[in-house]
Amino acid sequence: DDEVHVRQKVAEVDPQEAANFEQELRAVMQESIEQRRQELRGRPMLNMVIPMNLFEGSARDHHGRGVGGDSGDEALDEEAGGSKEVQVKVLVKRGNKQQTKQMYIPRDSSLVQSTKQKEAAEFEE
Amino acid sequence: EETGDEDGYEFGKGDFTEHACRYCGVSNPACVVRCNVPSCRKWFCNSRGNTSGSHIVNHLVRAKHKEVCLHKDSPLGETILECYNCGCRNVFLLGFISAKTESVVVLLCREPCLNVNALKDMNWDLSQWCPLIDDRCFLQWLVKIPSEQEQLRARQISAQQINKVEELWKTNPDASLEDLEKPGVDDEPQPVALKYEDAYQYQNVFAPLIKLEADYDKMMKESQSKDNVTIRWDIGLNKKRIAYFVFPKEDNELRLVPGDELRLRYSGDAAHPAWQSVGHVIKLTAQEEVALELRASQGVPVDVNHGFSVDFVWKSTSFDRMQGAMKTFAVDETSVSGYIYHHLLGHEVENQTVRNTLPRRFGAPGLPELNASQVLAVKSVLQKPISLIQGPPGTGKTVTSAAIVYHMAKQGQGQVLVCAPSNVAVDQLAEKISATGLKVVRLCAKSREAVSSPVEHLTLHYQVRHLDTSEKSELHKLQQLKDEQGELSSSDEKKYKALKRATEREISQSADVICCTCVGAGDPRLANFRFRQVLIDESTQATEPECLIPLVLGAKQVVFVGDHCQLGPVIMCKKAARAGLAQSLFERLVLLGVKPIRLQVQYRMHPSLSEFPSNSFYEGTLQNGVTVNERQSSGIDFPWPVPNRPMFFYVQMGQEEISASGTSYLNRTEAANVEKIVTTFLRSGVVPSQIGVITPYEGQRAYIVNYMSRNGALRQQLYKEIEVASVDSFQGREKDYIILSCVRSNEHQGIGFLNDPRRLNVALTRARYGIVILGNPKVLSKQPLWNSLLTHYKEHECLVEGPLNNLKQSMVQFQKPKKIYN
Ligand SMILES: [Zn+2]
Ligand SMILES: [Zn+2]
Ligand SMILES: [Zn+2]
Repeated sequence: DDEVHVRQKVAEVDPQEAANFEQELRAVMQESIEQRRQELRGRPMLNMVIPMNLFEGSARDHHGRGVGGDSGDEALDEEAGGSKEVQVKVLVKRGNKQQTKQMYIPRDSSLVQSTKQKEAAEFEE
Repeated sequence: EETGDEDGYEFGKGDFTEHACRYCGVSNPACVVRCNVPSCRKWFCNSRGNTSGSHIVNHLVRAKHKEVCLHKDSPLGETILECYNCGCRNVFLLGFISAKTESVVVLLCREPCLNVNALKDMNWDLSQWCPLIDDRCFLQWLVKIPSEQEQLRARQISAQQINKVEELWKTNPDASLEDLEKPGVDDEPQPVALKYEDAYQYQNVFAPLIKLEADYDKMMKESQSKDNVTIRWDIGLNKKRIAYFVFPKEDNELRLVPGDELRLRYSGDAAHPAWQSVGHVIKLTAQEEVALELRASQGVPVDVNHGFSVDFVWKSTSFDRMQGAMKTFAVDETSVSGYIYHHLLGHEVENQTVRNTLPRRFGAPGLPELNASQVLAVKSVLQKPISLIQGPPGTGKTVTSAAIVYHMAKQGQGQVLVCAPSNVAVDQLAEKISATGLKVVRLCAKSREAVSSPVEHLTLHYQVRHLDTSEKSELHKLQQLKDEQGELSSSDEKKYKALKRATEREISQSADVICCTCVGAGDPRLANFRFRQVLIDESTQATEPECLIPLVLGAKQVVFVGDHCQLGPVIMCKKAARAGLAQSLFERLVLLGVKPIRLQVQYRMHPSLSEFPSNSFYEGTLQNGVTVNERQSSGIDFPWPVPNRPMFFYVQMGQEEISASGTSYLNRTEAANVEKIVTTFLRSGVVPSQIGVITPYEGQRAYIVNYMSRNGALRQQLYKEIEVASVDSFQGREKDYIILSCVRSNEHQGIGFLNDPRRLNVALTRARYGIVILGNPKVLSKQPLWNSLLTHYKEHECLVEGPLNNLKQSMVQFQKPKKIYN
């Protein structure tokens, strides 16, 4: 009866409430953009340093984390549906210093998809 | 075996660990983030529970907070989420993007960094930018969704509870959800009544309402601290330091006004010790720049310009004076006459007439001739202990009031006290009364002495400084010394104060009339004064306890001037408003059967413009004191659909949107057309100061100002000079041309603010020469009053659509008005 319990819980989001909330959320987003456009007169410069050493060996980080652990072959994983996540480095600033942190993100994230496609395209060329 | 105690799991005590979700209690570090707004710092989880958005997104949207910080034990560690390029922390703008290769990602804001050309040049795939908030949740790989188990153990909070607790946090940031269940929080206060047993019962009803309003006001103002403020220093004529800075208003709830007290702080650096000083706002520029006159001139870090903080210093003075007046009303038998006492409480009292010889003519020197209804008003007021004068827009309320005060002062009953809730109204009235030759003293709050006033020569502080007799030379010497040195020795200070007080008293006592705000009537400098005759202008815009302040100084004859068909007092606390604090004493007296004397000739509007307001709000009694010819704008070539009828309703179908504050609305199509109309006016020879743009919503006001200055077809400066304001802030004022943007346009929701007939009345009666209304007839026509307005415009062939240079009559169908049930 755990199942039933969960179902009861998951149900019942008032559609009116959901619609109102969606509208409010959109408003906040829209106004945030509006506000930024007003604040920033003229386009700001690109002002970021990406430490190039990060990119070295990026291919090595590019392994999936499947059920079976460290299988290196992506194609195999995908077909088996085993590897759901990829490891990325998130680049953040700590004061003026850059730092990276390892994260796992879902393989179907658009972040991964795009670069995969690009890589594939490049590979074909 | 687990020793659970240290884990923060202390069930039954109601205490969660610090980083537990404040809605549901989930405390898994991977699932929670902290709101990074300094006054908030609450933690929320990324689970949806029973609501449409995750808890953190719910909080950010409802509280209008926009920054977050990750937990120290989360995969990224304690990190404030911000744009890698520009440092923007608004999570609603942030998203991840791959830095060339998929294995390195950064946070980037979509405005402006995502649009920086250099990025495209670097070959980044900007189309794959992935927003931080997606499907009303934070990205799940960044902030995990609590497991089903965790969610089941958590508190099952509903959207309604979330709304309630967010509301509660505005006044009490430490409140818990349990507080919602506590008695009291949701209890409505006792509502106002029509009649009261005695002044104690009266006080029992009003005191809690004033307390509610005061608490709300305090909370609102004290939460307005601003950091990183940049200062421009100056020195005033009185040699005091003035700090200029921008204090942007976040939404329509708080407006700074001259006289407000602010604290300026500097936390110090290697070369400067920490410093702070309190000052008064003496000026606000159109660009929202504030001029703050500092109290202390010593040690001001004038060589520093950046990094200051500003806090609002809340003062309870006005609320204290209302409470004090209610108490005096109850305990002091001499506070008001018996007749007034019983009448105000709604007791049956036999009518009384005031026995005074009436003047032969009712006008007064220095004022325009009175018309028949004005004469009638003056005459009847002089014979009654309590009277109400209703002054519809443009009917010469101020002149009539001044004439009444003139005759009262001539009756030899002592000094007359003249009040109004707003300083602007008091100044106007003081000026007119002074024109009759009466000796007027305008008493200003100490905090407003440095605020410039059109009637400065009448103010008490000015008269004290300029009383140029030799006996007073001692005071002048001391004043000069004080101005130059900033302070006096303690013995000199004592002498100075005593001399000043004596002089103030002498000047006030020799006046025929004292003018001040209602709250100002509670000034200690008037403590020993008695006023038998009191006139309160704009009394429909004051709360009852506010009106009571001038009355309890011995009133025997009272005149309330106002118009209960226009907007009432502004009450910020909804609970107090619901309980009836927004009902003025004037209105209650009308309900009790006191019949207002109505001024009936209007001198403002083109006769075509006064027709509808007269019929809808004043039973058709409003007569025109101006002719069509006097309101013909010669040489102005504006495409009015019907010549000689300078009005039209411009049909708009654009959608409304909710604005940033979440509490207001805007409508882009209407804004764009407002610009076009303004431009057409300007091109046809109308100058900016003649035009007023009115809209009921702050969101739209801000949007129009911005839109016009960015997209206006003519010189930017022209648009900046055009006043764009809320209906409420236009009350009591006029413009030659008014453009009214209604904003509301939706299928199912109501029309909000526009529903109030009094607001519509004010909006329609500001224009002298012409009015353009922009709105959606399909939506507005559901409301009976708007329906009749639309029908009026349609019947006069003034309901139009299409481009401005080719307006065509609109055939849009109206909806059936809904009956209003109360
Ligand atoms: Zn939660
Ligand atoms: Zn918050
Ligand atoms: Zn940015």
